[in-house]
Amino acid sequence: MNRNTLRSALTLAIAAGTLTLAGCQNLSSPVIRFDRQVNYGDAKGVELVTNEFGSTDLQMIAEKMTGSLLETGIFQGRPTVTISTVKNKTSEYIDTTNVMSSIQTALTKSGKVRFVRSINQMQQGVDELQRQNQSGLYKQGTTAKVGQMTAAKYQLEGELTSIVKQNNSTKDVYYKFTLQLFDVQEGTVEWQDEKEIRKTSTR
Amino acid sequence: MTSRKTLAALCTALLALTGAAQAQLHDPATPIAVASKVALRGEANNIAVREMRLVRKNDILTVQADLANMGRSDRTVFYRFKWLDSVGNQVGDGESWKQLTVLGLGQQTVKSVAPTGAAVDLRLEMNVETR
Repeated sequence: MNRNTLRSALTLAIAAGTLTLAGCQNLSSPVIRFDRQVNYGDAKGVELVTNEFGSTDLQMIAEKMTGSLLETGIFQGRPTVTISTVKNKTSEYIDTTNVMSSIQTALTKSGKVRFVRSINQMQQGVDELQRQNQSGLYKQGTTAKVGQMTAAKYQLEGELTSIVKQNNSTKDVYYKFTLQLFDVQEGTVEWQDEKEIRKTSTR
Repeated sequence: MTSRKTLAALCTALLALTGAAQAQLHDPATPIAVASKVALRGEANNIAVREMRLVRKNDILTVQADLANMGRSDRTVFYRFKWLDSVGNQVGDGESWKQLTVLGLGQQTVKSVAPTGAAVDLRLEMNVETR
């Protein structure tokens, strides 16, 4: 009886111990590292593969700028905005239109602002207008009228700069993204913010 | 009889220990009201969310949370805010995860702005690494 009791206790202790160990096992963090050759990962995870400009930097910049713009209340009355260029003043090749695109997506989804065609998107708009009005293919009254586009009240302009320092063992990269909202008519800066990012890697 | 009691006590203690090991425990310095807004994965590892301030500015909710390291060792926190609408559905696609170092006995304030005016509540998702 006594031996049976002891055996039962031992079995339970082992089972509970296993559960305890399972509970204490280290949790993984939402980071992207090379653990396997191919993996579908979390697109929102913290990317730490190298310290060059990456997806997490782009996402953090877009989130900060969108949040900052929305909380200022400058978009009362759903004004029209157009996006301009983002100057890349870093030594890296970075597709900076991606940053603006993410900002535009988030702001459009907020419903607080209306975007009009940017300079880069204008040619497609003009081509479509000409096709509708000059090709003779469309019914009268269904074509979009020329000269009815809404102009932008504001224009978004940005720049990305970096400072890189490195020695034998450490590389430090500091990025600064600055975004400005200009009133097109007045030429004044109505809002401005910046996002700083520091990434350090060691060998 | 005595051995049965001993066995029961042993089992209870072990199960309690197992439960404690698996529970996601907030740091004691995190107020209960704040803890209800924090979805902590795993151990807090001395990181407390001391305060969380929620303000609606221009129809948009904004939040600031103070993360305090109650220990002397540096901690790496991975966090993001999840915004919820009036029925508890997630608003927007979700934020990107962010990495933050909180120095020993230090404090860091993290901030976020809701993506739309539909957000009425939030959760701070986080986990803490000791590395």
